[in-house]
Amino acid sequence: MTTTEPPTAAGPLDPSLRRRSRSAVARSSGGDRSLAVLVGLVLLAAGVLVALLSYGIFGAARAGRPLLDPMIVDWMRDNALAARLIAIAAGVALAVLGLVWAARSVRPEQRPDLRLEAAGDTEIVVLSGAVGEAVAEQAQALPGVGKARARMVGTTRAPALRVTLWLADDCHVASVLEALEAQVLAPARTALGLTQLPVAVRLELDNPPPPPRVT
Amino acid sequence: MRVLLRLLAPVLGLALAAAGVLLAIEVVAAWTRLGTDQAGVIVPWPQWQAGLASTSWSEPLVAGIAIGTAVLGLVLMLVGAAARRSDIPVTAPRPEMTVTTSPRMLARLVGQRVRRGDDVAGADVTASKRRILVGAQGWGDLDGSAGKALRTSVEDTVSALLDDVPLARRPRVTVRLAQRRGVR
Repeated sequence: MTTTEPPTAAGPLDPSLRRRSRSAVARSSGGDRSLAVLVGLVLLAAGVLVALLSYGIFGAARAGRPLLDPMIVDWMRDNALAARLIAIAAGVALAVLGLVWAARSVRPEQRPDLRLEAAGDTEIVVLSGAVGEAVAEQAQALPGVGKARARMVGTTRAPALRVTLWLADDCHVASVLEALEAQVLAPARTALGLTQLPVAVRLELDNPPPPPRVT
Repeated sequence: MRVLLRLLAPVLGLALAAAGVLLAIEVVAAWTRLGTDQAGVIVPWPQWQAGLASTSWSEPLVAGIAIGTAVLGLVLMLVGAAARRSDIPVTAPRPEMTVTTSPRMLARLVGQRVRRGDDVAGADVTASKRRILVGAQGWGDLDGSAGKALRTSVEDTVSALLDDVPLARRPRVTVRLAQRRGVR
């Protein structure tokens, strides 16, 4: 396979940089996924257990008892305080968990501004939109790139850049990536005074111009 | 699946929260109105209690609801498990750069290159991280040497393309031939 050699001369690489660039590829859906699997698992287990109980696998006597078992009702009457506290705690826990989950999944992805170090008490803030626009504009001018989009992602403390390139179908992907690094990202880092900026690049195929209708 | 999960997640979260709030409110309401004949704030608990106490576990309705719940849980688990990204990693020129592409882009790229061949009448391509499946259509009888030539030319085209695109892992290429009837 003839690919560009992975560079080793970039100096000691902080593994967190690689992680940041990898998580900048797209919005993470890990939280949503694990919660969906967890809730699904609970429902599946409860449903299967109740179905087995109902078909008398755990004994006919057990299956014949009422849903609201007198045993449990008696316990709740005897320990009214404990039963109520448990019920209230469960309700509050469910409410908090549900609200946190809903809020996390509808919250838009952050676009952190870049805070640069400057001498004295001055602080320079580069707005995320400015970085995105500048990088996208320059990337679009590269040969082989039809369209480009860039935005900041991550947090203010650990920002990263996400670049989407729509490539012409006959371009040489490796050289476009090299050009992006050499002509866009490296100057951007220099201009912003950053030593490191994790980047995630997404490659798409540009729609070719429509063929002439008369040949 | 990812879109479905994005829609489903807030709905599920809000449903959980609503159930929790309802439970807490009802218990507190019943607690503070001790002694009086409670009817519940929203949910008619006494009727529910009577109904639940007179229904046994072995009734078909209970089994049906349980099976429905289990199926719902299974579907939810499958949606959660299937909602992962299908990105194809591409070798990046720098270590703090991650480059990915989509199976759709790779399939379109392969399809465009393959269709440019003179002996190819049409092609459909499916791509994933591990495998590229090319269905190429040729004219005439493809059982003999013509078929072999077509297969070789398609394989060479895809191979040259994969040399060009620095995928982190070179996918296996499978070519299937089909005959297109009619005039060339």
